[in-house]
Amino acid sequence: MPIRVQLDRLLHDRRMSLTELADRVGVTIANLSILKTGKARAMRFSTLDALCRELDCQPGDLLVFEPGPADIEDEWV
Amino acid sequence: MRALGPGSVSSLLKIVLDVVYGLMLFVVGVLVVAAIAALLFKIDPAVVKQMSIDGLPAERLTQGPVIALLLTVVGLYVGGVTVVIHRLRQIFTTLTAGDPFHPDNVRRLRLIGLMLVTLELTGYAISAGQVWLFPGGTREETVFSLSSWFSILVVFVLAEVFREGARLRREAELTI
Repeated sequence: MPIRVQLDRLLHDRRMSLTELADRVGVTIANLSILKTGKARAMRFSTLDALCRELDCQPGDLLVFEPGPADIEDEWV
Repeated sequence: MRALGPGSVSSLLKIVLDVVYGLMLFVVGVLVVAAIAALLFKIDPAVVKQMSIDGLPAERLTQGPVIALLLTVVGLYVGGVTVVIHRLRQIFTTLTAGDPFHPDNVRRLRLIGLMLVTLELTGYAISAGQVWLFPGGTREETVFSLSSWFSILVVFVLAEVFREGARLRREAELTI
């Protein structure tokens, strides 16, 4: 997906672990991993709000647009 | 009464389907054994005289291969119905678990639709082949059943509805 979540960089800059962030934000580690690995299809405003609050950043710091081909629809059914 | 989840109508129907599935397996087994027996053993004409199959001359029943062929065709038909029942059981397992839009249900519904088409066409083929195989017998006309084909189309449409439901479920899972 052309939209990437820069969770790794932000966590590294703030010396924060994924587990700690998950505790603070109230999102499971599994779901944060989905975000981190770029597998997520969408993010709720409430999640974005909590992430920005806990990481002390702007949405633009968290999300970046990288031009490239859009995802092909999954062929899982 | 709830439609989905444990203790719901779905779980009740699942139990019914389990029982029917067991019976169907038993019937298929009996038919297979009977077909093999008809090929291996000579049939006593005195016993055959007491038997009656619609549309089939009694003298043909003494021929082992004819009986074996009949039993095989019936066995295949019952086997097809058993496959449909089995897939329905699997679908109702997911309904009982409260997860109707499981991705596998799409494939199961499509298979049920294809199997119903096959069974319907087999019915026509049996009807057509009856005259050719048993010229002396009385033929039962197979009527083109509009409601059967309508039901089959509904199954395929339902499969697409489930595909969309499964896609939305996947989207929801990947929305953080």
